[in-house]
Order: sequence, then structure tokens, then C-alpha cells
Amino acid sequence: MEYLTFALGKGRLANKTLKMLEQIGIFCEEMKDRDSRKLLFVNEELKLRFFLSKGPDVPTYVEYGAADIGVVGKDTVMEEGRKLYEVLDLGFGKCRMCVCGPGSAKEVLQHKDLIRVATKYPNIARDYFFNKKHQTVEIIKLNGSIELAPIVGLADVIVDIVETGSTLRENGLEVLEEVCPLSARMVVNQISMKMEHERIMKIINDLRELMGKDLRKPKASFTQGGNHEDH
Amino acid sequence: MEGRLLHTPEGVRDIYEGECRRKLDLQEKMHRVFADYGYSDIQTPTFEYFDIFSREVGTTPSRDLFKFFDREGNTLVLRPDFTPSVVRSAAKYFGDAPLPVRLCYSGNAFINESAVYQGRLKETTQMGAELFGDQSLQADAEMIALTADALKASGLEKFQVEIGQVDFFKGLLEEAGFDQEEGERLRTLISQKSFFGIEEMLRAKSIDHSLKQVFLQLTEAFGGIEKILEARNWTKNERSQAAVSRLIDLYELLKEYQCQEFVSFDLGMLSKYKYYTGIIFRAYAYGMGQPLATGGRYDNLMGYFGKDSPAIGFVVSVDHLLAGLSRQGSPTPQAPKRQLLLFEKKAEKDAARYGSEERKAHRPVILLQRDPGRELDFYRQAAEKEESLSVIYMNENGRIEDRW
Repeated sequence: MEYLTFALGKGRLANKTLKMLEQIGIFCEEMKDRDSRKLLFVNEELKLRFFLSKGPDVPTYVEYGAADIGVVGKDTVMEEGRKLYEVLDLGFGKCRMCVCGPGSAKEVLQHKDLIRVATKYPNIARDYFFNKKHQTVEIIKLNGSIELAPIVGLADVIVDIVETGSTLRENGLEVLEEVCPLSARMVVNQISMKMEHERIMKIINDLRELMGKDLRKPKASFTQGGNHEDH
Repeated sequence: MEGRLLHTPEGVRDIYEGECRRKLDLQEKMHRVFADYGYSDIQTPTFEYFDIFSREVGTTPSRDLFKFFDREGNTLVLRPDFTPSVVRSAAKYFGDAPLPVRLCYSGNAFINESAVYQGRLKETTQMGAELFGDQSLQADAEMIALTADALKASGLEKFQVEIGQVDFFKGLLEEAGFDQEEGERLRTLISQKSFFGIEEMLRAKSIDHSLKQVFLQLTEAFGGIEKILEARNWTKNERSQAAVSRLIDLYELLKEYQCQEFVSFDLGMLSKYKYYTGIIFRAYAYGMGQPLATGGRYDNLMGYFGKDSPAIGFVVSVDHLLAGLSRQGSPTPQAPKRQLLLFEKKAEKDAARYGSEERKAHRPVILLQRDPGRELDFYRQAAEKEESLSVIYMNENGRIEDRW
């Protein structure tokens, strides 16, 4: 049997995913050792391999087949635009992709005038402004603290992920428009899906069943907003 | 500057020695299979007018094409794939042929891959076959058997040819009464096997519950023939039903070609290229992130060139296949045996005579005049580093004095 390899986006997403996978009997003891410097974790018995990578790299690993299965935010899936099967909405990590800015910027979004948009997600921003709003914009790619851009006058508005909106409020910004809702997605390499059909479908179906159960419970942990408390 | 001269542009590369031998060997083996099926070779130009590869017929978006202009200002394009060119030729030269026409090709295609795929090759070698004027089930089976046989001949062991049928989905779309935009959205979602995306989209639509279920099932409708047999009961609409029965009949025929073990099905395999009209298929192998071969039936494409003829074809990506073969650890063919005739200056006429006779007898020989400043040992050591090279030493009198 060949190894089935999982690529997980580093951080909260990975922890949540591992917890979920454990509930369907997929786990990796090696990964629980927090001090380990290993990059690749193996469960020989189940022929599984796991690794953590930066979120935007997950779709790349999966597209090229270096990983069979990946778990990553919808934002990354959209931004990277790779050829993948997007098989499951894992239901956690829910948040929104929004256009934000000072309240006064509402006005500029109503016209077709050229405005500056700062974002970590140039592809998503471009698609939204060009194809949905038909507004010409100059996109400025930033790598972090996007909220700073409208405050110091680098951009009129930003396109960014909004969870609770507290960072925005503290800086005098607000959500102006919603681009789309986001959550964690499971993606699968298109060839692995065929060559490892049974194993992968079992994982998908088990997860689906698990989520179905949890949804029926009141205030289940991976329903809306459930993940924001456990920072 | 010197270092720069040695580099090739991004996306193109040199292929030499063992790799080149492997590639040519592979192409020869596959070509023999094409010939066994009665396909004749065709060569089309490396570049053609833009219109040949435009949106209606092409599989490559315009921005990914290598474009340039001729003296009159026409836009020319380096071919991104062969099918449009071969179809154009077929329409031009064989448009009125009374019998079906079988053509095969081998050559390089050029795609200006976007920056996202930095390392990906922009020049790749493709081999493929097209069959015009035959709409029968036999033609479908032939094309799939040819794909499987070509891959088998290459030495590839574990691979799968997966077959879909676009009419099944199109029938469902008609039944649901979706417009083009909705159909396109649904097609994308099904292609991504996004069960939840389809669920969300259909929730708002007032279509029959069981039809919704069928759309959802499409994300999982892949596997052996049993999946297709199951799908027979999913819907009553004629077009989808016909698509399913054709797949079942096809499978029966493929058994006679003894390639059923390589074949699987996926009703959710939907190509974004509108010109596919019947079966479509892809070949995969373990550990390869991309399909090795793709193909399908495109009965309307010829119409774009003013002739009406059904057509079916496929293409193998030779470079992907080579990568797949080396992953599998298949051996590199041995270099042909060669002799190096090392001669003294005074014996140059004898050496030339010897060489010419050996070559006539198809015994490869390389001539090399000994540099008086070099010892024989120098040549001995250098030759040992080469593959399949034996050395013959000819002395000043034109006599063979030593062999090693």
C-alpha cells in the first residue's frame, strides 16, 4: 500500500483538523510531540504521512501530488486557484472575506472611479472588483497588517479576512462590503482521488458523517462562530 | 556574459545522452503501436494563424499562447497542441474522403505557462492520433485501446484510463432546465467534486428532489463499471440514458481488446472545452500529479473548418510519460555499442578505409587521431568512462595492434 499524505496549513487550522481526523480513527502520535523538529510525520501502521506547511503552499503541494489531501482555508483555495478537488467544507474556521475601510470610503465604492485596494489576496480582490463590481482598481499587495494601509493613506480600502471585526473597530475601520464567506476546506489531488479512491472516499464519508452528528447537537463546536473563542 | 550564453530560457531545456535515448526509444515504441492500428503520419506547421487556436477550438487561453506577427501584421501562434491543426488539415485534404481517415503525429507544442507555474516546461513533446469520419462505438473503443496499448508499449505498468461521457451531464442539465450560466457553474462545481458547493447551489433551485440527488451523486460517480450500471437507474431522460448505455456497450467491446483491467469510469469528468460531444478520457499513473494522456470525441469541431465529420482523438504527453516511467524505475535503454578507432597520423588512409567498411556493415565506429603528446593510457582511461565504447588501436603501419 502506498502512503496517503496530508498537507495541513500551520496553526489553528491544523490542530482543529487533527482533532477531527482523530475522531474518525486517523491520527499520528509523532505529531503530538510539540518539541519535535521533524518536518514529516509518519504513521506506519495506517500508511499515513502528515506535514505542516504555510497555508498558501498547501494547494501547491496537493496540485503537484506531493500531498494527496490538504486542509486549508477557502481564502487560500480561491487565491491560489489551483487545479484541485475541493471535496469538503469542514465547517470550522468560519469567517468572511470583506472590503473594509473607514466609513467615509463607502462613497468611493459606489462609483467606478479608480481606487487603491491593499490586500494579501490580489487575485480575490481583482476578481471581485473587476468581474463582480466592474470597478477599476489599483491593487497593492501587502504581506501583513493590512489594516494599516487605509490609516496611513496607502490605500482607500482593503480586502481582508474578518473574524470578529475587533481589530477593524479599534482602528476606526468597518466592513463595507462582503466578498464571500470562508471556512476550512479539504482539497484532494485529482489523480490521488482516482488512484486511492477507496481510502480517500472513506475519509470523506467518515468526516461527513461526523459533521452531520455534530450539527445535530445543540451548539456544536464546529458550527458557526464556534472557533473564535479558542485563540 | 559567457555564463549567460550557456543558459536556456525558462521553460525550455536540452535533452541529451541517456534521457534523449529514452525519449526517442519511447516515441519509437508508441509510433509502432500507432502504425499497427493503421494510422498514417502527418506533420503540420509549428506555427499557424491565431484563429486556428482561438477560443472556439483551442484548449489554451489566449494569454498563454506564444504570439508573434508576420510581415503583413497577421497574428501567428506557436501551436499549443496539435488537434486544431490536424483537424484543419483533415478538413482541407480529406474533407471528401469516402472512408474514415486515421492520422497520427509527434512533435513539440508550446504553452507560455503563467508565472504561477515557474518550473513547468513551456515546450513539451506530444504524440497523438485522430480518427475522422467514424461515429461508431468501435471507433470509441479503438481510441481507448490505442491509448492503453501505446502506454503499455512504453513500459508503463500501473496506469488507468478513466472514461467519462459528457452527454450524461448535458442530459441532466436539459432535464433541470438550467440556463447556460447555471450549467457552467454546476459544471465547475462537479469538476471540483465539490459536494457541498452543489448542495448549496441546488438548495435555492426548485427542481425535482431526485434530480438534485443525481447531481450530488455525480461527485462520487467514479470507479469500475458497476458505477455505470448503477447510474442506469438514476434518470429517465433520453440523452443521459443513451450516454450510459453507450458506456456499457463500450466496456463490453473493450473486454475484447483485453484492456478492461486498465479502464475505469467517471460520470463527473466534465471538460470545460465545449467541443467534446461524447466520451472523454484521461490516463493516470501512480505518483504523477497530472494526466499522461487525454482524449475524447469531438464531432462538431470539424464544422468550424467548414466540413462536417465526426472525430475522436487523444494525445500523450511524452514528457509526463517519461517522468512517470523513471518514477517507476524502468531502465534506460543501453547505448549502442561503438568502437573508437585510435590511429597514428601515418595510418590515416588505412583508418579511413577501415572506418568506411565497418560502417557499411552497420558496426558503429568513431575515428580519432592520436595526439603524439598523449600516452595510450590517457585514451584508455577516457574511454572507460564512456558507455558501451571499445577501443581499437591502429599503429603507424596501419595494423591493429591492440584492443581494449
